Amino acid sequence: MAALTTPSAAAPPTPRRRSGQARRREAGAGWLFTAPALALVLLFIALPVLMALWVSITDWRGRGSPFEPGVPVVGLDNYRQLLAGGGLPTQDLGTALRNNLWYVLLVVPTQTVVALLLATAVNDRLLRGRGFFRTAFYFPSVTSSVAITVLFLFLFGASGAVNQVLGWLGVNGPNWFADPDGVLHLLFGVVGVDTAPALLAGHGLLGVSWWDWLAGPSVAMSALIIMAVFTTSGTFMLLFLAALQNIAGEVSEAATMDGANAWQRFVFVTVPMLRPTLFTVLTLGLVGTWQVFDQIYTLGNQGGPAKTTVTPAFLSYTTSFTNGQWGQGAAIAFILFAIIIVLTLVQRAVLRER
Amino acid sequence: MSRTRTRSLAVAASLASATLLLSACGGSGFDDAPAAGGTGSGSAGTGQLQVLIGSSGQAETAAVTEAVSAWSQESGTQATVTAASDLAQELSQGFAAQTPPDVFYVSADLFNSYAASGALEPYGDQLSNADDFYPVLKEAFTRDGQLYCAPKDFSTLALVINTDLWAQAGLTDADVPTTWDQLRTVAQRLTANGVTGLSTSAEYSRLGAFMAEAGGGLVTDGEATADSQQNVEALQYVQSLMADGSYAFAADLGAGWGGEAFGTGKAAMTIEGNWLVGAMASDYPDVQYRVVELPAGPAGKGTLTFTNCWGIAADSQNKEAAVALVEDLTSSDQQLAFARGFGVMPSLQSAAQPFSQEFPAQAAFLAGADYATAVPNAEGVSDVITDLNSQLEGLEGGDPQAVLQRTQTNLEAALQSSGS
Amino acid sequence: MGTTTAERPATTSPAPEPERRARKRFRWTTATSYTVLSVLALVYVLPFLVQLANSFKTDAAATADPLDLVPSPVTTGSYVQLFTGLPFGLAATNSVVVALSVTAGRVFFSSLAGYALARLRFRGSSLVMAAFLAVIAVPPVVLLIPKFLVLNQLGIYNSYAGLIIPLMADAAGVFIMRNFFASIPTSVEEAAKLDGAGAFRTFWSVVLPMARPAVITITILSFQASWNELSHFIVASNSPDLITLTKLVAQLASGGQGQSNQYPLKLAAALLMTVPVAVLFFAFQKKIMSTAEGAVKE
Repeated sequence: MAALTTPSAAAPPTPRRRSGQARRREAGAGWLFTAPALALVLLFIALPVLMALWVSITDWRGRGSPFEPGVPVVGLDNYRQLLAGGGLPTQDLGTALRNNLWYVLLVVPTQTVVALLLATAVNDRLLRGRGFFRTAFYFPSVTSSVAITVLFLFLFGASGAVNQVLGWLGVNGPNWFADPDGVLHLLFGVVGVDTAPALLAGHGLLGVSWWDWLAGPSVAMSALIIMAVFTTSGTFMLLFLAALQNIAGEVSEAATMDGANAWQRFVFVTVPMLRPTLFTVLTLGLVGTWQVFDQIYTLGNQGGPAKTTVTPAFLSYTTSFTNGQWGQGAAIAFILFAIIIVLTLVQRAVLRER
Repeated sequence: MSRTRTRSLAVAASLASATLLLSACGGSGFDDAPAAGGTGSGSAGTGQLQVLIGSSGQAETAAVTEAVSAWSQESGTQATVTAASDLAQELSQGFAAQTPPDVFYVSADLFNSYAASGALEPYGDQLSNADDFYPVLKEAFTRDGQLYCAPKDFSTLALVINTDLWAQAGLTDADVPTTWDQLRTVAQRLTANGVTGLSTSAEYSRLGAFMAEAGGGLVTDGEATADSQQNVEALQYVQSLMADGSYAFAADLGAGWGGEAFGTGKAAMTIEGNWLVGAMASDYPDVQYRVVELPAGPAGKGTLTFTNCWGIAADSQNKEAAVALVEDLTSSDQQLAFARGFGVMPSLQSAAQPFSQEFPAQAAFLAGADYATAVPNAEGVSDVITDLNSQLEGLEGGDPQAVLQRTQTNLEAALQSSGS
Repeated sequence: MGTTTAERPATTSPAPEPERRARKRFRWTTATSYTVLSVLALVYVLPFLVQLANSFKTDAAATADPLDLVPSPVTTGSYVQLFTGLPFGLAATNSVVVALSVTAGRVFFSSLAGYALARLRFRGSSLVMAAFLAVIAVPPVVLLIPKFLVLNQLGIYNSYAGLIIPLMADAAGVFIMRNFFASIPTSVEEAAKLDGAGAFRTFWSVVLPMARPAVITITILSFQASWNELSHFIVASNSPDLITLTKLVAQLASGGQGQSNQYPLKLAAALLMTVPVAVLFFAFQKKIMSTAEGAVKE
């Protein structure tokens, strides 16, 4: 996977003495060999992007082809309505972005840290049952998001397994997937702030007040966050594991010289050496967590409770496929696209500088 | 590996890519895209009808399939019934591909969106029984003065009471609530031992009944009236029941909907529609219950009504047969058969009499037809209601006025842009 | 890529400390880390055991005692219902057909293109490379709406072709193969070339067999990805004949109001659909563990 972001280029070999005919034949073969993969990619990735761009500036209502002459072209209206309209479309997009932002903010760092710690643990040469532990931690990663969501729906049910365990600890667990309360709002409530200060309630972004932006993930979304960490930490553990094994020699050398303890060694020697892998893991995490769709679809409550699990990807889908507002749905997809690209570039810049 | 074999593989690869590119450039339009089987396939010219339904379960699928195949035998036109797993999505894909099913369920809230896109054939004037439908139902499927499709059947909301818990609480027939105050009293009496008096799901399509009883509603004569004093009063009443602890949303009781909370004995009463009868019979056959009219509010009796219609696709190749099928399916006899099959009420006024004779236990649902209001369904309003629902989930500690104010703003915008 | 020195420690000598102290400290930390790791492993494994157990319970028992790992009474009712009351068999068949076709297509097309980009000189190869790089950046979710439009336009909506062909588009696979080919020595092919073998023959009978590790990598990745795919199947068909496992299980899970929760049924369905990828995982476990490693190392 990292290979993709940093393609190592061993230049094609320079053959000795080539006849013009041989070169032509080779060129023909080159095109012939790349043609199928290229055609697939152009047809099912590049072309769709262009088509969606077109649909996003029309008010196509989903009957017949969007390229027929009668389809009204509305220019940037869909984008304007979503970003500056202030109405329901803006509020819905704002809510979806709020939900997804908290998801990203919590999932990406957590899964990275968990994966790194797991990798460090199972990298220990002296650890018995290493194979078992690796398998256990990795296994959730091979299952589909659909299957794992079904399982979590059961585990996090009102009287499900998780709440039973919490019950043993004397904690009265919430009705996870039905609880729309924001986790941060709940925490504010604990310290006595349970209504919005006027300053936060009165102003906002994308039709969502600052107070609501600060709600944090809902309890329902928190269950999905736990699920994401559970399923992806194994994959990233493998990436870290590989990197750790690559640098094993250098780390122990450094340690021998300094006489540093294990923790210092980890923080000051190992982690800096892992930077390329860290970069990969963060990029993959960031791109992946902005595309939550399968889980929300499988939950089956249309992004509920109280729209707190709606994500931009899911909103784009329902706007188009359920409500028939294809132009708006496509515009949401492009806004999401832009967010992913910008954030990836920002992250790249930040991590490269140091 | 022989040389010829490898060469043919190379050729196959290049052919595959060429085909892909060609078909991309050639742009075989949407129109002539033949669908390979399934619900989406319009049946060009063959005279065959595809019927797509959004079924509530086995019983409904079986009943509709049976009715349609009986019609097929009689008319000689073949017809296939398919139960959609996600009706809205499958329909919108069918419309876009111009291979929609010929006849299909259309829910009232999506009706205007479909009609506006031109996907629906307005066939109301071809129906011989058009005058017999309840006016409130016809209104839901009328656009620009045209009746687009025939109301399939309908349901209303009523109060459902667990009679065992009722008796345990020392309540008798004389205690059946007819006012909000009485409802409060019995709900409190029934709240005990882990049972909540009354539970519904947190949505407009339940709480809207209280609004109607208070004399409110979301839309009045085409104007948004969500923030009316009556609506505030209705929500404040619900809030006060919640404060008593005698009313809880189903989700808060760990149930998916009011019927589940009721069926599992977590709630002693619920507000649900006719579909509850079927669900109780199949999932909770041991629970004894009765159905009564909703208690009257400050403005008298009120309830909500829900309906679907039989849509016919504008792109159907066989509209004449489709209309004939719909006429058969909405006939009095057939609708009574559906009532037996899966507990809906006939959409024809003339069928009311035989229905109430056959199903005396459901009299309360039918009685609601006289004063029920329909859920507003102008284009874009269903999004507003979805948003309202998301607000209602937090009603217990929320501010009804603020919730309704927000809905008012959204509703005004929606009604303005739909131009109705 | 592909070189696996994974399990071999580079330097072996532990830090020079007095032996007794080392052993003592070693014991203490080992005990802690074993405890912590075991608890963690339990957290990762227990959900699946719970799933297995509950799929053999009755609805009532699953709701009442979700944590009970021994179902009583044991019932296979859920599994029976999957195959009798639901189109589980059909969905499984479709999933197998789709996943195998997609995998075969991806492996073949990606290695062809990867080989060409690594070895063959042709005008425009850098352009092709750039095209592949550019599309990698496109998040699949953005493509939901337009993919449906393209399928429609091509007339393969609601067909096996529509389910399979778009999933074969795999720029990442091309890069994995390209990087692999770039990392192996050219001498063997040179010999084949001097023998007068054509480019495809060289590729097919000389180069591809050497690429086994990379091919296995792509096979695993492709099979897992297409087996677990959901969104594409949603937008590519609405015919009940073309339902796949992910779609069936997702719809079962989100299934209608007015029905009881049916947890054992859903859990059984989710469990069965995990079996093929789990088998693949255990069969190629060593390989998978080094797949990711190889990707990092290149």
